[in-house]
Amino acid sequence: MTGPALLSVALSLLAPEGAPAAEACVPDSASLAAEAATLLNGAASGSEVSAEAIAAARRLLRAARRLDASPDLMLQAADLAFAAGDVEEGGDLLAAADDTAPGKLSPAELLLLGRRAEERRRWREAIRRYDALARRLAAEGETADWIAPRRRELELEDEAAAIAAPASGPSVEARLALADAKRALASGRAKEAREHLKTALQIDPSYVDALLALAGLEAHAGRAAPAIRACRDALAAEPERVETVTLLANLLWEEPDRAAKEESLVLLDRAVALRPDLRSLLRLSAARWAQYGDAARAQERLARYLSKATAREHAEARPLQEMLSNQARAAPTPAPREPAAPEEPASAAVERWRKARILASRGDDASLNAALGLLEEAERLDPSLARAAELEASIREHRSEWREAEAALGRAIRADPSRTTVYESLARLLDRDPARANEAMDAWTQAEQAGSTEALYALGDAADRAGDGARALSLLRRYRDEAPAGLHAAEAAAALERLERRRSALVFGGATALLLALALAGLLLRRAKTGATFAEWLARHPGNAPEARRIVGRLRHESLKHGGLLLADAADRLERGDDEAWRGIAKLLEARLYGEPGSRGLVGEADDSLEALRALARADGERLNLEHRDPAFSFLARGIRALQRARPSVRRLSQDGAVSPRVVARACRLLRSASRSFGLTSGAELERRLDASSSLPVRIDALRALLARVASEADAPAPALEPIGELAAAPELPPVRLAPGDWETLWRNLFANALAAGRLGVSAVRGRDPVTGEGRLKIALCDDLASSLTTEDVLARPADRGLGVVVEILRRSDGSIEVQRAPAPGFTKGVVIELPLVETPA
Amino acid sequence: MTRRVLVVEDGTEYVEAFRRLAGDSEDVEFVRAPHGADARRLLSQSPVDALFLDVVFDRTPPEALVGNLEDLARRHAGDRARALEHLARNQGFYVLSELAPLIPPGIPVLIAHDFASQAPRLEALRETVPGLEGVAESTGITRVLERLLRG
Repeated sequence: MTGPALLSVALSLLAPEGAPAAEACVPDSASLAAEAATLLNGAASGSEVSAEAIAAARRLLRAARRLDASPDLMLQAADLAFAAGDVEEGGDLLAAADDTAPGKLSPAELLLLGRRAEERRRWREAIRRYDALARRLAAEGETADWIAPRRRELELEDEAAAIAAPASGPSVEARLALADAKRALASGRAKEAREHLKTALQIDPSYVDALLALAGLEAHAGRAAPAIRACRDALAAEPERVETVTLLANLLWEEPDRAAKEESLVLLDRAVALRPDLRSLLRLSAARWAQYGDAARAQERLARYLSKATAREHAEARPLQEMLSNQARAAPTPAPREPAAPEEPASAAVERWRKARILASRGDDASLNAALGLLEEAERLDPSLARAAELEASIREHRSEWREAEAALGRAIRADPSRTTVYESLARLLDRDPARANEAMDAWTQAEQAGSTEALYALGDAADRAGDGARALSLLRRYRDEAPAGLHAAEAAAALERLERRRSALVFGGATALLLALALAGLLLRRAKTGATFAEWLARHPGNAPEARRIVGRLRHESLKHGGLLLADAADRLERGDDEAWRGIAKLLEARLYGEPGSRGLVGEADDSLEALRALARADGERLNLEHRDPAFSFLARGIRALQRARPSVRRLSQDGAVSPRVVARACRLLRSASRSFGLTSGAELERRLDASSSLPVRIDALRALLARVASEADAPAPALEPIGELAAAPELPPVRLAPGDWETLWRNLFANALAAGRLGVSAVRGRDPVTGEGRLKIALCDDLASSLTTEDVLARPADRGLGVVVEILRRSDGSIEVQRAPAPGFTKGVVIELPLVETPA
Repeated sequence: MTRRVLVVEDGTEYVEAFRRLAGDSEDVEFVRAPHGADARRLLSQSPVDALFLDVVFDRTPPEALVGNLEDLARRHAGDRARALEHLARNQGFYVLSELAPLIPPGIPVLIAHDFASQAPRLEALRETVPGLEGVAESTGITRVLERLLRG
């Protein structure tokens, strides 16, 4: 900014538009003006102003703004802030100026504010700024094509953020930071992940997921103390979370001192108590107690584990059983012995290991060399210090010194065979060489026996690739249960889904035709006993047809709009989108399918509709079995189930931003499946069922028979009933949509009001609704009675004439009623009812 | 020349799907009208090359629904609530009826209703809107778009 410009800024702030400076400013401002002028005149040497002068001028402006908060002043202050490189304050001032007096900012300034709001994830504000920009450009006769699409994206973000924000729990920012951390972790960028986790925990220090991720990260880096600290914080925030309890137990088990191991064992028991269904925890507890030397406790836990174990699990537990038997033989009166690695924390070896760990964390060559020297000393001083060899292996791996790393891991295992992480590291190392796959599997097996959950995934994945579906299923299920937020949780979920589907297919495919037929027959027999079909129920209770029609109509609408379009569209977008798009779409899906807090999404609506039908039937003493016995409803139920199964994947995408291709593929597959099911839910099929149960043809002979019955019951002679017009030519007209029970009730009431007539006539005229084109049938019951009955009488006081039931039936059947004078030759009045016709296929 | 397709629906599902399928094509422009009055305004401002109508407008405020509620209430035996429900559930037909005089002859007009078993009904409606076609539930959105853009 030039000196004269700066001077004019400083002076103009003290002389608001149209007002002389002396009148506009309080005395303090006048002195500020003089000071500013002096300063800037002195500073303006040529074209540029020094930084000091700008800083001083900004101070002046701040002082002046305290006296006068006009938008012009804010804009001028913003100019100075930008000139000083203070983009933050400049932006704040621009935003304040625009909020105070819209229309004063230039397009460039509005653009800047829009981008700034986007960076801060203030979507609504960004939309507002871009709207202002579009208006401003339009006023200048210009356009910017990018604004409209960007605006739509921001709306999506805003909607997604609002949807994603739970009523309680971590803020969106914290969760986004965690998602960023997980992405960074997945790409091996540990340092970046740690920064993101710190951000998440700054926002919400008790965010358990972030604490657990941090604990995992630190543990992986060999930093036990911060890992344990993070775990303890997580446990304090949520004491009942089994994932935290087991992680802390595992971390403490790796610690050398006895107290930590004892705490670990107690924690493991707590985990067993929290999740008695996770029997693998019992097996781990047994193994740990055995390692700790308490054979009695180990035996007790092993017995509990084996009491419900499968044959395979029995086989897998055999080595542990043998170990315990050997222990019992060696020491008939078992007593707890010292932990496997009872180093003194302050021993010289441990001291060296600690120093080495600090050096290793620096990462430079000199530090790593020094660390290796210290570790060598530590191992020499205490060969049982497994952590020293493990850390050496980690450094060697970092340097791609694979052979040395493997040797170090071997030493670590020999020093302490119970360390889970060593087996994991060895297995990963061996995994690098396809020729050593068998050795890698042995290492993973050992890791699994030592309690590694990641080993469960590795072994499950290997079994899957080897075609051992049963073993893969067993291992991956354990992984899913024991490490729900594990590194491979998404992949495990996708593999499980595939394996379970394949197993179902195999079960059916492998059965003989006879067995299949028998099974199906049994199934049908069983289902036959479990309830009525929709059509059966309606046929037995036709009065419920209108309400059922309403519910089915709602269901159809939801299915059509969401099944046909939203789901397929969402699946397409998920497949084609980038990370950010995935997250936004997934959040929208979360909202539309499963509902925002306090509302119901598609799944809820559909469930509600089906339940409403069942409740309606229950009131009739019927039990509906819609999914199994009604094909149309089966499609719906299948679609709903697919959506329910899709939820974990959709939620993972929307909350964590963990865009594993497998998760996306699973979500897409299930959404497409739901879409297909909903698309196949034939609305026409449902309509046909409703019509079949609630339509009947208009036949003159049936009406005559009914009239005779009504007259007989009233002990009155039955008047003659003549067909008029179309009905005379064709004694049966197309069916109207009305439940049979309602049809009879309606005519009973109409006839009861006309028994005194000398003659009656029935006319029926087909027509169409001029707007909807829907077929309608106008039926008139004509009589020769002298009556002053009007349409208004019927609608206003229907009970007076016993026509209340007629009106109610017509109301719920989309029908109408009116009274006509002289409807046909020889008749004085006619009660005309109009009902929808059941359309017949061309 | 850019073809202009007017989509009348209470949500944005159809128009978004059409736009996505059409991609960045400059040959076609989709204009959405959320209710009958807006559709009438858009249609009278500039002609369209195709028209698509949703049928159920249960997300539209009652006051924005097209149709004579008093007449309908009479037809529903005096029950205004049922008349309103009918209006919302059949709104697409009412909008179509309103727009009929403004629809240029010969353009495709699609309505989200399956006439498969209601041929006489479709014929009746074609008397006022000759180009009218129904869209069955099983029709994929791609096919719908093809039908809108044909010719």
